[in-house]
Amino acid sequence: MVRLKSRYLLCEVCVSDRRNLSLLDDRAIYTATKAAVARAHGDYGAALSSLGFSVKYLNAHTGIVFLRCRKSHYRLLWSALPFITSLENRGQRVPCFLNCLHVGGTIRTCQKFLVRYNTQQLHRMLPLCQSEAERSEIRKSVLSCTLKKEADDEEEEDE
Amino acid sequence: MAVFMDLNITYTTDKKRLRSVIETAAHLGYSTVAINYVVDLQQKKQEIGKPKCVLELFDTFPIVQGKSRPIKVLNRLTVVYSYSYDLVAVYPTTEKLFHAACMTFDVDIICVAVIEKQPFFFKRSPINGAIERGVFFEISYTPAIRDSTMRRYTIANAISLMETCKGKNVIVTSGAEKPLELRGPYDIANLGLLFGLSEGDGKAAISTNCRAVHLHGETRKTALGIVHTMKKDQPLTERQEEEHAPASKRAKIETV
Repeated sequence: MVRLKSRYLLCEVCVSDRRNLSLLDDRAIYTATKAAVARAHGDYGAALSSLGFSVKYLNAHTGIVFLRCRKSHYRLLWSALPFITSLENRGQRVPCFLNCLHVGGTIRTCQKFLVRYNTQQLHRMLPLCQSEAERSEIRKSVLSCTLKKEADDEEEEDE
Repeated sequence: MAVFMDLNITYTTDKKRLRSVIETAAHLGYSTVAINYVVDLQQKKQEIGKPKCVLELFDTFPIVQGKSRPIKVLNRLTVVYSYSYDLVAVYPTTEKLFHAACMTFDVDIICVAVIEKQPFFFKRSPINGAIERGVFFEISYTPAIRDSTMRRYTIANAISLMETCKGKNVIVTSGAEKPLELRGPYDIANLGLLFGLSEGDGKAAISTNCRAVHLHGETRKTALGIVHTMKKDQPLTERQEEEHAPASKRAKIETV
């Protein structure tokens, strides 16, 4: 049985200024990625990436984005990601870069990785806490990080 | 009569002053002078820029006193070299310099040009010599992110290097000046695929090879890895300081 296999690239959008993060939307990332692939790999790359490419999920608070593409040429797309220097949204240009965290075959595996990654991030934030209240908040969120939630918000995080 | 040379005229950005110094040198009878660019690596971020073209200084060079030829002006570079550095890298621009750097210079890293088309081809013999000595070739990826023409040069030079060295002894580094110019390690390992590295080589280029460069730099400090000096932990408590013997026992030397 022929099954269409895909790869999900879990990326984090890193900006210098956290306030700009909320301006993101999936169309901006889509166009920026397609443009980067076209610039790096030419017409061949642009054609390939238009086949199975889509932005599946975007979290504007944390900057996590899921990109989906065909398994046969996810490397092409991945190798063009470092060349993205900015995202354009409604006329505003946000300088940023995409950091690829994980490549998975299904959304579920990427979610599992994301839960582990976010717990690590929370652990990293713990020593930076100023007050005891923040510390207990973080500990609570760490304990409540599980996969058994709806597809939209899988984990809690406080910034 | 012998030919006199003054090989150290400090470079100043004031053109008039430089010009007058050279004119005086010609008047005194020096046939050749060298303008010295000192790079003091104690300051954090100083790049060795291209030396000013000597033709910019003069339209017609002053004639040397006592001879009929104009004065010859050379460019010279001085690097303040001290032991406080962990890694030493060199960026050769001609074939002869590249050959010398691979075979004889005491460096850890040889930078491969990315901003311009490599004016010379890589030959197998100096590259193999460098690999045996443990010297690594560095490719920087930030110019590729900034500009499209640089991207072409980077990829072209990188691929020609890979063809000759077969992917061994290569490290990939950023040349980042701003935090936005960095990229994650897995992204760079993937970029190695564009440069012609295999997947394992790409990951090695940012992990094991870099560690090898670090060790290579350390052995330079320690007389080829035979003597290893270790600093005693500096902030001793007061009690311990009183107990310890005089300052002559501070540095501990361990032979490996």
